[in-house]
Amino acid sequence: MNGNRNDPAAELREYMAACMQCGTCSASCPNAEFMDVSPRRLWRLAQLDRMDDVLASRTFWMCSSCYSCMLRCPRGLPTTRAMQALKRLAAQQGAAGARRGQAFCRAFTENVERYGRVQEGALMNTYLRRRANPALALSYVPLGWKLLRRGKLHLLPGSGHKGRLAPLVNKVREMEARS
Amino acid sequence: MRKEYGALVVGAGISGIRAALDLAVSGHKVALVDRRPHHGGLLAQLDHQFPSDNCGMCKMLPLMARDSSSQYCLRKGLYHDNIDIWLNTELTGLEGDPGQFQASLTRRSTLVDPARCISCGECAAVCPVQVPNEFNAGLSERGAVYLPVPHAIPNHYVVDLEHCTRCWKCFEACPTGAIDFKLDQRDGFRVLAVTPDSTEAQELLSLLDKAGFPAVFALDQEKALDLLADGDPAGLLLVDMSMGEGVVERIINRAAELRPELPVVLLAGAGESDAAARFVDPEESPAGGGPRGAREWIAKPLEEAVFIPWLDKLHVRLASDEHLVFDVGAVILAGGFDCHDPGPVDDVLGYGRYPGVVTALEFERMLSSSGPTGGRLVRADGKPVRRIAWIQCVGSRDLQKGAGWCSSICCMFSVKEALLAKKALGDEVEATIFFMDMRTFGKDFQRYRERAENEEGVRFVRARPHSVITDWQGGLNVGWFGDDGRQHEDGFDMVVLAVGARPPKGVDKLARAAGVELNEHGFVATRPLAPARTSRHGVFAAGAFAAPRDIAESVIMAGAAAQGAARMIKIHDVLAGMQREEEPEYPDVSREEPRVLVAVCSSCPTLEQRLDLDRLFDRLERLHSVVSVARVGSACTAEGWGEVERLAREEKPNRILIGACMPYAYVPRLKELGRTVGLNPALMDVVDIYTPTFPGEEGPDAAGRREREVYAALATAVARLEGADPVPPPVTVNVARAALVVGGGVAGMTAAVAVADHGYEVCLVEKEEELGGMCMRLYSTLEGGDPRKHMEDLITQVEKHPNITVFKDSRVVLSQGTAGRFRTAMYTPRGALRFEHGVTILASGGRESKVYDYGFKVHKSVMTQLRLEEALATGTLDVSELQRVVMIQCWRSRDEERNYCSRVCCSQALKNILALKARNPGLEIVVFYRDMMAYGFKEAFYTQARRAGALFVRYEPERKPKVGFDGGKPVVTGLDPVLGREVQVRADLLVLSSGVEPAETDELVEIFGVETNRDGFFQEAESKWRPVDFLKQGIYLCGLAHSPMDMAEAIASAQAAAQRALRILNAETIARETVVAQVRHSLCSLCQRCVTACPYGARQVDLEHGRIVVDEILCQGCGSCAAVCPNSATVLTGYHDGPVMALIDAALEEPRHVETPKEREQ
Repeated sequence: MNGNRNDPAAELREYMAACMQCGTCSASCPNAEFMDVSPRRLWRLAQLDRMDDVLASRTFWMCSSCYSCMLRCPRGLPTTRAMQALKRLAAQQGAAGARRGQAFCRAFTENVERYGRVQEGALMNTYLRRRANPALALSYVPLGWKLLRRGKLHLLPGSGHKGRLAPLVNKVREMEARS
Repeated sequence: MRKEYGALVVGAGISGIRAALDLAVSGHKVALVDRRPHHGGLLAQLDHQFPSDNCGMCKMLPLMARDSSSQYCLRKGLYHDNIDIWLNTELTGLEGDPGQFQASLTRRSTLVDPARCISCGECAAVCPVQVPNEFNAGLSERGAVYLPVPHAIPNHYVVDLEHCTRCWKCFEACPTGAIDFKLDQRDGFRVLAVTPDSTEAQELLSLLDKAGFPAVFALDQEKALDLLADGDPAGLLLVDMSMGEGVVERIINRAAELRPELPVVLLAGAGESDAAARFVDPEESPAGGGPRGAREWIAKPLEEAVFIPWLDKLHVRLASDEHLVFDVGAVILAGGFDCHDPGPVDDVLGYGRYPGVVTALEFERMLSSSGPTGGRLVRADGKPVRRIAWIQCVGSRDLQKGAGWCSSICCMFSVKEALLAKKALGDEVEATIFFMDMRTFGKDFQRYRERAENEEGVRFVRARPHSVITDWQGGLNVGWFGDDGRQHEDGFDMVVLAVGARPPKGVDKLARAAGVELNEHGFVATRPLAPARTSRHGVFAAGAFAAPRDIAESVIMAGAAAQGAARMIKIHDVLAGMQREEEPEYPDVSREEPRVLVAVCSSCPTLEQRLDLDRLFDRLERLHSVVSVARVGSACTAEGWGEVERLAREEKPNRILIGACMPYAYVPRLKELGRTVGLNPALMDVVDIYTPTFPGEEGPDAAGRREREVYAALATAVARLEGADPVPPPVTVNVARAALVVGGGVAGMTAAVAVADHGYEVCLVEKEEELGGMCMRLYSTLEGGDPRKHMEDLITQVEKHPNITVFKDSRVVLSQGTAGRFRTAMYTPRGALRFEHGVTILASGGRESKVYDYGFKVHKSVMTQLRLEEALATGTLDVSELQRVVMIQCWRSRDEERNYCSRVCCSQALKNILALKARNPGLEIVVFYRDMMAYGFKEAFYTQARRAGALFVRYEPERKPKVGFDGGKPVVTGLDPVLGREVQVRADLLVLSSGVEPAETDELVEIFGVETNRDGFFQEAESKWRPVDFLKQGIYLCGLAHSPMDMAEAIASAQAAAQRALRILNAETIARETVVAQVRHSLCSLCQRCVTACPYGARQVDLEHGRIVVDEILCQGCGSCAAVCPNSATVLTGYHDGPVMALIDAALEEPRHVETPKEREQ
């Protein structure tokens, strides 16, 4: 992200200043029902400079980067990029809820870095261990069982792609360190 | 062909027609051109306009000298003595200076001779081509030979050569030989091909041979140029690009010297296409202005299936198209706009993919009785329609789609369409309009919207639906995000996309040809405070060509452009228009027995094939007033007409009736005939006898019905002529060639200067001590104009103008008289004065409304937008000291007290926001608004204001923001609908957008006998078609007294009003029309119903003599009075009860069987 590095909130405001609150992003979002604050409201909070409220929400963690909103925004605003920026910002600032929100992202990155592709068993293992919440782990059992039966879940790591994505992840780390 | 005109109007849509008519009625010759094969532009397709929800375009027709113009539906046809209409014609170049432009134009032939085409439709019946019909927005299909609009008069078929498959079937089918593909000229069309390769030459030769064109070849440039120099009669030069660019350029240049009109076509092999394209269109080359001169280029290798059709069509074009050169004084560009295309098919709105998703234009075509469904509202898949949604801002306010502007018209046409749908389908239809801001900024728009919402039950949803998704039953689901913070979805049967306005296709080409610049949005650039002026002096822009505009504004802008052009014509003394001919005196035949001569044109074979002419003649001869029935050949030609003239001299009839095709074409000829044979043209008529004989239904009765129809047409005409009233000697008013302008603001002064520049005396009355009015409080405009300088210049101009007398601190006390001659008394500091004038322009202006709440006038920190502008401009406000500014829009307007949008406040707020932000970028600005009325290009400034960081918080009229004060500083609390919570803003400054009110008009209303609307603004004659006229002739309105408008719009309306006024001033006398109402006093019971019924204020009660008086100049012959009169005391010339009854009898007469001479013999 370029722009105003000193004040991440200002950067976000700059992204979203031209927003006219038409709500296309929120209406388009496939994950909107899992968000506590709608994207439109999130941009409004950012415009009002209420960054605490923005970072406290789990809205941006729910963004799966499908880019529907960005594609449809009549103002051509970088909404998805703003969501990603918020994830990074929350991680940097260690905002409330960031640990929880990050847990899956981190587990996923580590997983693909190691195996070269998603290894579902290991991924859920890491993720649930980090969240350290037995109730959460149990809540996944029915889904896990269903996937397993259909052969969609691999409990043991395959070796075909191991380490293939490591250079890519390293490059990202390098870039992040530089900036 | 070379012709001279006062002005050239490019584009024959509504603005083009208005501008052309405005110039034509004031005596200038006008060329009206359009690239389409029909006039009327987009409005040819639209049947309904709000607020009346019908058309009403005919209200634009001239009110005076009505005989000089057609008097029927303007969408069907336009005819005026001073207007030449050139269709299929495009402007290709404009040389010279204002006052003496030479315009080059290309007229693409329709390949159908309009003089011969009788519109029988035989050609279209045999045409094998099926392409989407533009007239029905692609909802129906047409052939390659077709009628561009079904209702035009005259209506001739045209050939669409692009789609023609060259089967020549229409050529063979045409009974009158009207279609001409120049097939007989093919032998004379010799192709000179220059190619270095003899094998290619051989191939080309065989192709040309197959195509049937003679050819001659040259292997190098010398040979080719020698041939040309020796006078080779080649009709086309084909040049192979493989000879190298240099050689090709030499050939083209030399050929241009030898044979300037010889078209050159390049043959480009692989890799040569770029170079070839540069020869065709020099603008294509990166450097611009490369070599030029080729007509087009085609790719090698030449394929028979492509080359021969191409060459055939090229030959037809070359042989038929015309190059025109017009010498004109001024040019008006009225190219209109295109509707945004909501495709491609994979777009989220599903247009073109789901049946039921239609554009607004398609929707209106469906509602039209001339449309593809004949007025029934059904989906393409036949499903019934009950729930309809309108989606606003499709292709407007959408930077992703390249439209940073608001299209200004869609909100209102969607409301209109919703109401039309309710009317068409009944109350059970559910209409929903999805919108972001409802931009009801025009005069009386807000009330129209509220009527739709509250009385008609149209549902308004403030949301931007993201997509349309179909369900398994073909229903259309629309998803949107509500103010409640939730996603919603609703099912509809039809979704109408309110597609926005785009610059018309080819606007860049037209701009290049006319030498004008385009603005950043791709529309024609105009000057901030001279909205009709383009970047080129003498070239004006009218209507939606310069910015998206509705009809009323387009009409005003067209008037402003016409005024600019008229001024150019006046300054440069360009060819005065028509020489006013002396009206000849005709003998009075009213005491004579009617003797009718009936001449029937029988030149076209369809008539005699399908009708027994002898029997028809026999029956006609039995009518008692008919003295002779004669057959003439081709009444449309000079010989045929000579025959009619000879018959008239021989038979000495006192009525003449001609049966032919296309009656409208004969109007000028009748006048001429009247002059030569000494008979009033009012006693002549032409009726159409051909249409009933066109192929159509067949059957046992068809022949009888045909005969009955033709006979009835002729017999009714005879009855009408029998009863025609003698035309009394004309009543004329000698025009007092001076104007009275009331109001010395920007509108009044602009109008005064516009009239005075034409050499007429102007008296300008201003009630204040200084000129200038509201505009003196403006320091800048949103578009970057300089109002201060403009006003200073204008005031100086007015005060120094030799033709203008200014009376300040004065008022009008009395005015009498009618159009052409008013006598007005004024009270001035110099005492009471009298003034005689032909026209009156009311520009009494308006003022900033003052509502004393929200701490206004109590706290220094509360001010209006105008005051803020002044404080910013004069530097009395230290912006750097400020932390936060709050603005509240629609303060007490669009509310029951003043239920109209003041139109200027939103742009005024945006202007102030940008000024504040420019000085203090860190300043926080919060704007409470209801709908941001950032119409047209103002939308770009709205975006700019948001980008600069201003925060816009919407409020509902039920929950207005509350204002409290804390230590003199305003604290504004309002509900933010997006957050769903209250927001409280502590500000240093509270700025109120208070809106515009009309000035006191009570006195003027009484003095001039005009009307106001319920908000106190003057009521124009017709909101769309006559926006600057009062119903009462000779009085015009402009500026803020009309409705709230910004400075540029006020200037335009003043220019338009001045142009309307010039129509009267340019005439020395005004003559009464032939059709006016009269009162038979012996029958009149003085009930005065006619006085209230008269829409033109032409009737008054003369109490002294106890009778109703008709002002024959004001009377427009509409007949409303005659219809309401209970005693038949009021009659309309030529429409007395007796003759009208006779006419109806004749039309309904059941024919008795009459023996023909043949039958008698048997």
